[in-house]
Amino acid sequence: MSSESEPLLRVENLKTQFFTEAGTVRAVDGISFDVHEGEIVGLVGESGAGKSVASMSLLRLVESPGEIVGGEITYKGETIFGLEEGPDGELQEREDMLSNQEMRDRIRGNEIAVIFQDPMESLNPVFTVGGQLREFIELNRDLSSEQARQEAVEMLREVGIPDPEQRYDEYPHQFSGGMRQRVLIAMALACEPSLIIADEPTTALDVTVEGQIIDLVDDLQEKYGTSFIWVTHDMGVVAEICDRVNVMYLGEIVEQSPVDELFYDTKHPYTEALLDSIPRPDKTVGELDPIEGVMPEAISPPSGCRFHPRCPDAREVCQRVHPENKQVDTAEGVPHRAACVKHDAFDVGYDESVPLAKSPQVTADSSANTETSVTDPERGTAGSSGGEGSE
Amino acid sequence: MEVRAVSDTVQDPSRGQSEDDDLLGSEMSGEEIAHGDALLEVDGLKKYFDQDSGLLSGVSFDPDSFPPVSVGQDHVKAVDDVNFEIRRGETLGLVGESGCGKSTLGRTILRLLEPTDGSIYFKGEDLADLSGEQLRQKRSEIQMIFQDPQSSLDPRMKIGQIIEEPMRAHGMLDDEGREARAKELLEKVGLDPHHYNRHPHAFSGGQRQRVNLARALSVNPDFVVCDEPVSALDVSIQAQVLNTMEELQEEFGLTYLFIAHDLSVIRHISDRVAVMYLGNVVELAEKEELFENPQHPYTEALLDSIPVPDPRESDARGVLEGEVPSPVNPPSGCRFRTRCPRLIAPDEYEWTDEEWYHTRAFMRAVKRRTFEPMAAAEIEAEFFGGDLPRGDPGEIVQRAIELVASDRSAGDGESGGESDAEVIGDPNVDWERATDLLLESFAERSICAQERPAYEIESEHGTETHFAACHLHR
Ligand code: SF4
Ligand code: SF4
Repeated sequence: MSSESEPLLRVENLKTQFFTEAGTVRAVDGISFDVHEGEIVGLVGESGAGKSVASMSLLRLVESPGEIVGGEITYKGETIFGLEEGPDGELQEREDMLSNQEMRDRIRGNEIAVIFQDPMESLNPVFTVGGQLREFIELNRDLSSEQARQEAVEMLREVGIPDPEQRYDEYPHQFSGGMRQRVLIAMALACEPSLIIADEPTTALDVTVEGQIIDLVDDLQEKYGTSFIWVTHDMGVVAEICDRVNVMYLGEIVEQSPVDELFYDTKHPYTEALLDSIPRPDKTVGELDPIEGVMPEAISPPSGCRFHPRCPDAREVCQRVHPENKQVDTAEGVPHRAACVKHDAFDVGYDESVPLAKSPQVTADSSANTETSVTDPERGTAGSSGGEGSE
Repeated sequence: MEVRAVSDTVQDPSRGQSEDDDLLGSEMSGEEIAHGDALLEVDGLKKYFDQDSGLLSGVSFDPDSFPPVSVGQDHVKAVDDVNFEIRRGETLGLVGESGCGKSTLGRTILRLLEPTDGSIYFKGEDLADLSGEQLRQKRSEIQMIFQDPQSSLDPRMKIGQIIEEPMRAHGMLDDEGREARAKELLEKVGLDPHHYNRHPHAFSGGQRQRVNLARALSVNPDFVVCDEPVSALDVSIQAQVLNTMEELQEEFGLTYLFIAHDLSVIRHISDRVAVMYLGNVVELAEKEELFENPQHPYTEALLDSIPVPDPRESDARGVLEGEVPSPVNPPSGCRFRTRCPRLIAPDEYEWTDEEWYHTRAFMRAVKRRTFEPMAAAEIEAEFFGGDLPRGDPGEIVQRAIELVASDRSAGDGESGGESDAEVIGDPNVDWERATDLLLESFAERSICAQERPAYEIESEHGTETHFAACHLHR
């Protein structure tokens, strides 16, 4: 991987917040990652981790009451988002930041395309599939209507729609879920973007259809060299398709590494717990080892390391020190980062610190209250191994 | 008293199987079924739906009944002649992709849907014959849990009321007894008994599913149909709920029919697994046997397509081609035959394997129109490596190629120098006739199209019979 070359996309310390009546939700709280040319980069996490908000922030598609409040997003040397201090001392948008018009005309669709989980949201039910694709191509590339039509048929064939001439005239509801997702991929590819953000694109699909789509993306990626940001909760898909992975937990990236090291040299206890908790298709696992508790709300994240109320390795210091996502190793010449103080790179006295015992988590309240818990780890509630009580 | 019955059952979780199980789960019922004997038997079960034609949909009297009002009308054969048994104390996993009929099957067993034909024997009694009060009585012995814990809990009710509702409906215990039992069950499913007075909105998805579990167990059922119970939950929460379900099963001697699309979850929770495709059970075997020694091409394809959470597991994934056909007019014989990568060659021609593979691939490419029209010679080269099969099949293939070749009108198959632009949508290319010719000559003459397969074979893992609906085992 060309870690020295300038990445296609660089995200630094990105923060996106939602201003709600109940308070400020720090949905994305200072994440940094980059995407190089031709790479598939995973953004992985459970619901509420902030992965979708993060990916929408990259296109500045965050809607009120949400707002990008900090950080920098650079794409091919251009500034998608950036702040600087203004004359009054307040932060203001930087001069070189792309305008809304530029984002619309040059970036979205043309440079960076998106594929969503539900294709029906992106397709208009009252127009034919082919018509929509043709119009999209016509608008975005300098082609005549007839040329665009031919291009659309070609694209449909390219993404594996059988009998494309015929199906060109059909409506979205006449397509199966998998076929619709293929249409969206055709649309995403139509302007030959350099980067595609795929937000859980196969989550709603059956497993054989998911397999077809992943294969298709593999082929197309090879052919066009497109980079992908693949947003998912599915570790199987991650293993299958990603080159590098960012694992998110409660608005932060807690581990960042090439895919092989993520699975075989896991550095963050959350990633490890996640991998241990999933049933496997390829072998029979006697008992699942669930992660205790649930992810707390991003509105009142736990102090110190946000994972500490659920972390099996948590020690007293984890309640106090908030770990940055730091390099803890090198893998294939790129940094392997983890936000966990147990690694030497942190040097905050983890080894000397007292282990935190888990509390019997059986309340429906916010888990913020588990911070103080130091009780019998062999907790007594019958019938629940790891009841996810505290939230 | 019922409450004590429950608390008395807290016992050493490490104990082996014992006759105790029978005592635990079935205080409500008369008959005793020994652990491992068939508790539920499904025999020739069918569930057809009327094709939803806007015209008739307003006329139905009883959405639960299957009115033969419309003779000759199209039926969606959602469940078509399904047979299996579920044994006391086991978990039978039922897996398949959307539209395969697994949820309909679950609902028909519960008699939430009226079966079109067939029997559902529960403890020897045919549920399909029961109605009214008798059926209502039975419903305390059979409970269900659905996927969406959100919508299955009435937001206006308190958790305690929700759990007590089925007990009330079945006239079980008095107010005090019900409250005590509800609190006890809350604890059993891993919630705080103090949550008794809370409303569902205060709970997470995983906790709501636990409330559903408590409610289902309140009437002391023997059998629970679980329809995608963890699909809506995040992975880390899934594991918690699955573990709880296993503990409850052990403690109360429950029998589960566990319906899911996620093969990993199925592999984890099941003792035996049934695979459904387009309304039929195509394979049924012990879990280890099914996953390690699958004998139906559809099961193989399913297993092949799961992304494995291991980046070093980079075996080229087999990709299943095509889409599921309509259940209104399912393929004859084996329903998987239109997509089966191993469709058997018709016996009447002499083939080499290679000739058949080529022909099969060509036939499907024509049917799905996956290639752009090209000259006859190009088609021959692309699909047959230049060598058509010998004899009759070769002649048929030749005719089909002529129908779809772009140089068809030119009469002679040597040159194909036209540009793509002119060829697209070439009116001379007769895909339909070529498709019909190929299907009639080959696909429909395969044993796969002519007989419905059903074979019992020996297991490599375990001792149970292994059912596979595939003629490869003839
Ligand atoms: S910092 Fe502490 S609590 Fe956080 S992941 Fe590391 S060990 Fe666990
Ligand atoms: S019966 Fe024929 S078509 Fe069906 S699965 Fe077996 S080989 Fe394939």
